[in-house]
Amino acid sequence: MIPAPSTPWSRAEELGACLPELAAFQDEPLQMKSGTVGKTGFLRLGFEHRGNQTILQDLERRAPYMVQRALYCDPEMPGLACVFLITTTGCLLQGDRLALDIKLGPRAQAHVTTQSATKIHAMDANYAAQTQSITLADDAYLEFLPDPVIPHRQARFVGDTQISVAPSATLLFSEIVQPGRKHHHPDECFGATVISIATSAARPDGGGLFTEKLLIEPQRYAMRQAGVMDSFDVFANVILCTPKNKADRVYERVEADVDLAEGVAFGACRLPNDAGLIYKILGRETAQVKAKLREFWGVVRREITGAGLPPPFLWR
Amino acid sequence: MHMDRRPRPVSRTTRGDDSVEAPSSTALLARMLQFGDSMFPIGGFSFSCGLESAIQKGVVADAITLRAFTRTAVEQAARGDGIALIAAHRAATVDDVDALIRIDAQVYARKLSDEARLMSVRMGKKFTEMGVEVIGAPLLATWRKCIAMSVTPGCYPVALAISFAVQNLSARQAFVVHQNGVAATILGAALRLLRISHIETQKILYELNGLADEAYEHAAAARLSDMAGYAPLAEILAAVHSKAHVRLFMS
Repeated sequence: MIPAPSTPWSRAEELGACLPELAAFQDEPLQMKSGTVGKTGFLRLGFEHRGNQTILQDLERRAPYMVQRALYCDPEMPGLACVFLITTTGCLLQGDRLALDIKLGPRAQAHVTTQSATKIHAMDANYAAQTQSITLADDAYLEFLPDPVIPHRQARFVGDTQISVAPSATLLFSEIVQPGRKHHHPDECFGATVISIATSAARPDGGGLFTEKLLIEPQRYAMRQAGVMDSFDVFANVILCTPKNKADRVYERVEADVDLAEGVAFGACRLPNDAGLIYKILGRETAQVKAKLREFWGVVRREITGAGLPPPFLWR
Repeated sequence: MHMDRRPRPVSRTTRGDDSVEAPSSTALLARMLQFGDSMFPIGGFSFSCGLESAIQKGVVADAITLRAFTRTAVEQAARGDGIALIAAHRAATVDDVDALIRIDAQVYARKLSDEARLMSVRMGKKFTEMGVEVIGAPLLATWRKCIAMSVTPGCYPVALAISFAVQNLSARQAFVVHQNGVAATILGAALRLLRISHIETQKILYELNGLADEAYEHAAAARLSDMAGYAPLAEILAAVHSKAHVRLFMS
């Protein structure tokens, strides 16, 4: 067990130290050491329901993580607190440690996203790590839909997301992983060394719901293999934690298909312990994956809140 | 808590020792063949592990793509269930039922598709029941009771580990049987779904079984929390199968 954290970001600092997939990458960068000021970012967002809207009641930040303020820019859900995550470095570098802590109080409703894709730069020492902790109280509703992650060649990244969700709350959480800048360099399609993404969810009383650890190691396991990525390049993992009756309604409305000619595949499965659904999307291009994700988001928002989606951003 | 580091009672060292290379007697070999048989009646033949959808959608069309698809499934099993199986074998060797329950919950929590869960708990329950009737070890009876009283879901790799541990069959042997079972299930389904010969499926099985030794070394060194995988298309195919109207197989 990891000892009790001394800082809010100590889990991010300790995460990669004992993982076998990162055992070969414990060396320190020749530039700034891991965990120094400017390399360890922390962000705490606490949302509370007040009157007929949700406010960003609690905000604590440490560069390179940054958030300015909650915006109310969604015409379909005027009380929804929308927050854009900013990393002032604009990317993840070797030795970076990021910790994100999102809490929603009872009945709070928020939408958290990023302002752009997250590049994970090529590395010749160490790795980048990110921990996320998401806590949803009764009847809370969170859409956490960040832009894609773009791992460059020889990138090493470990992410760990721990979710605590009340039985009546809803979390929609997506991660899009691109193969790299595939048009930039032929080596960069699945050129990353390690992409390790773990997610686990539990009830507030500690009752475990599900665990998933995606470990992408293209040099160890063939990415183009049937059943893995086949001819697809972009992957999205979408988790929906919501009460069973709502999950069933979403499931009924969501299709599943594999279309090799169009270059898109998608489908939802019911998570164990009535936790909700997991929806996976594969596409040849990011736009196809984003379109399917938006479709799913639309179904979820309609079934859970009754509201529609805002018009798509012009530049996203 | 790491049960892996728990010292084993001296009297048990000849029992589920991981380092045992081969069954020490013909009786053990015969038992391994019996309980590792792909036709062992636990219902494996009714699952295709996504192959049915893979063929419908054109992901698998011939021996080459079948080999790749099967290899994916075998690798996923080695990186996930296989680790739990070895941990469960260690726990069963020291009769640690609490540890078995914790391991079983971890396996279940990682089965993110309905069909994968159904397959694991159905085969796990049948394997345990068969073990109680055929072998009759107290630990198997306890485990059957835990499953019947919903104390634990009873996933297949845990059931396999217990049955092997109580028969003095090693974790390595259980692991190989598990790997072989994953491949044999898919290849057996392939014979019914695809224009493919027994020669081709046996060649694939022979080749994939050659990977088991190295996969075991990796899995045996891993902790339970290291269970991982990456097969998004296989998972989407499972979702496609759940939604399909006409199905021959249960997964």
